[in-house]
Amino acid sequence: MSVIEVRSLNKLYRARVKEEGLGASFRALIKPVYKEVHAVKNISFTVDKGEILAFIGPNGAGKSTTIKMLTGILHPTSGEISVLGFDPVKQRKQLSYHIGTVFGQKSQLWFHLPPVDSFALLGAIYDIDKKTLKKREEELIECFELGDLIKTPVRKLSLGQRIRCEVAASLLHSPDILFLDEPTIGLDVVVKQKIRELILRMNRDQGTTIFLTSHDTGDVEQLCRRAIVIDHGEIILDQPVKKLKYDYLNRKIIAVRFNLEQHLDVPKGVVVEKSGKMGARLSVDTRVCSIDEAMRWIISQGGVADITVEDPPMEEIISTIFTGKNTAE
Amino acid sequence: MKFLRKYSTIIRISLQNAFVYRSNVLGGLLFYIVFIFVFFNLWRAIYQSGKVAGYTLSQMVWYLCMTELIAFGCKSNVFRQMNEDVKSGSIAYQLNRPYHYIIYQFSYTFGGIIFNLLIYGALAIVLGLIMVGPIPGFQLSLLPFGIFSAVLGILLNFFFLMALGLTAFRLEDNTAFFLIYQKLVFMLGMFIPLEFLPGWIQRIARWLPFSYVTWAPARLIVAFSWDLFRQVVPMQLLWLAVSVLFASGMYNYGVRGLQAHGG
Repeated sequence: MSVIEVRSLNKLYRARVKEEGLGASFRALIKPVYKEVHAVKNISFTVDKGEILAFIGPNGAGKSTTIKMLTGILHPTSGEISVLGFDPVKQRKQLSYHIGTVFGQKSQLWFHLPPVDSFALLGAIYDIDKKTLKKREEELIECFELGDLIKTPVRKLSLGQRIRCEVAASLLHSPDILFLDEPTIGLDVVVKQKIRELILRMNRDQGTTIFLTSHDTGDVEQLCRRAIVIDHGEIILDQPVKKLKYDYLNRKIIAVRFNLEQHLDVPKGVVVEKSGKMGARLSVDTRVCSIDEAMRWIISQGGVADITVEDPPMEEIISTIFTGKNTAE
Repeated sequence: MKFLRKYSTIIRISLQNAFVYRSNVLGGLLFYIVFIFVFFNLWRAIYQSGKVAGYTLSQMVWYLCMTELIAFGCKSNVFRQMNEDVKSGSIAYQLNRPYHYIIYQFSYTFGGIIFNLLIYGALAIVLGLIMVGPIPGFQLSLLPFGIFSAVLGILLNFFFLMALGLTAFRLEDNTAFFLIYQKLVFMLGMFIPLEFLPGWIQRIARWLPFSYVTWAPARLIVAFSWDLFRQVVPMQLLWLAVSVLFASGMYNYGVRGLQAHGG
């Protein structure tokens, strides 16, 4: 059963453009020049109940715009949206009882008050009766391991602690769909992992459908079964994460620095992207050469001073998708 | 019932929030005392020559205490808040909630106003009594009418500021409106009674909303007359209705064409 249906959705913005210089500023005052920005271009997709969907793409690809249209904040220029059978434009209020949202870069908690006060407020806003609210709060405190955090003023929480409280806050009214817009942005690896585990648990225990935007490949790999890749407002890929992983998330970047000069003779599946006398940036195709093998090989060279393993950035993956598509066509 | 619980909780939480800013509160109180004290001395010097425009010194000082009480009391951040919410895009968090956004903001501000009115009210009464003693000819039984007018003034001010803040939906820089509004409220009543101004300005000002924020209620509190009450309260109600329509109009207009900032 699908809970989100989107058909030929478009969003056009009118942005003011101004050329450089004082003269242009003056002209813009009298006769402003507008530029049309096509933020979302004719996209269609459906999301099933209980699914965890990743909506990924580089900055400015149209992810947040899409989320905002799905939740009724922005009105689409054209196209149809149905979320849980509601039309977000006309039935924003009814819909809002059934969905939760977290915008990683903004806060819904009151900065100077402990989260428990914000929870009470949200409880009232969503018409949750006191008894249910209390029970729900306890559940979330346990699940998100909030403990005393909820009695600490938000300004004293670390970013990771705050995000945990934000996610918990958005789940108070037991929404059917949770929209997460960059929930792990700015968090360190351990905290990211924690948030991901919590999201997975919510999905498993309560069957909450999760719609997640991110430009962190880790989020996608570990959380989602299906991913939609969007760039410049268009869907360029809609497939299971497994396949995406195999086709595109198959590389790791290893940066290594040596104590002494090294002449590198790389094994199969490893490409030297950049090399200096004392170090190198290697791209490892994990289908050919596992991380384990690659590391063993590096260590065997001797004199390793420093080593970091990273996912290739989202922008690179997207460009790979593009070139891959172009060569296939 | 649900409606009441929803918005009364918002008031309660924002009241709680107001208590957090302890040093802000103390600073504000101190500022109020300094302000009143400076003007008290100024007026005392001016009043060496007798009565000015129908106000005795004692009435003048109480007038000042009252207008400043309203000014400090509803020193809500509603303009700045709206402005920031719209510009930073955090309004996105507030729009998809099951409440009426304007009533939500109103309840939110209301908590702060209750808090301010209580503490500044107490201070205003104490200061007035210390400086000039009780208001001459003051009748407690007429005070509720003055307070009623003060409430209208505060509401009027709130909805105008909110409407101006919401212009941020469409205008990149709207602080000019705020400054103009603020200065007009200040000059047409808060700083000096309307009666002090030239006749033609008075006549114009009586048709405009600005004097109804502080002048009308303060005048009614220090020198009540039924005549004046019958003149100003209908105007306050009229402008209140206009400001509410203006604010909700701006809101509807803004939401329809919302371009959320900041991604």
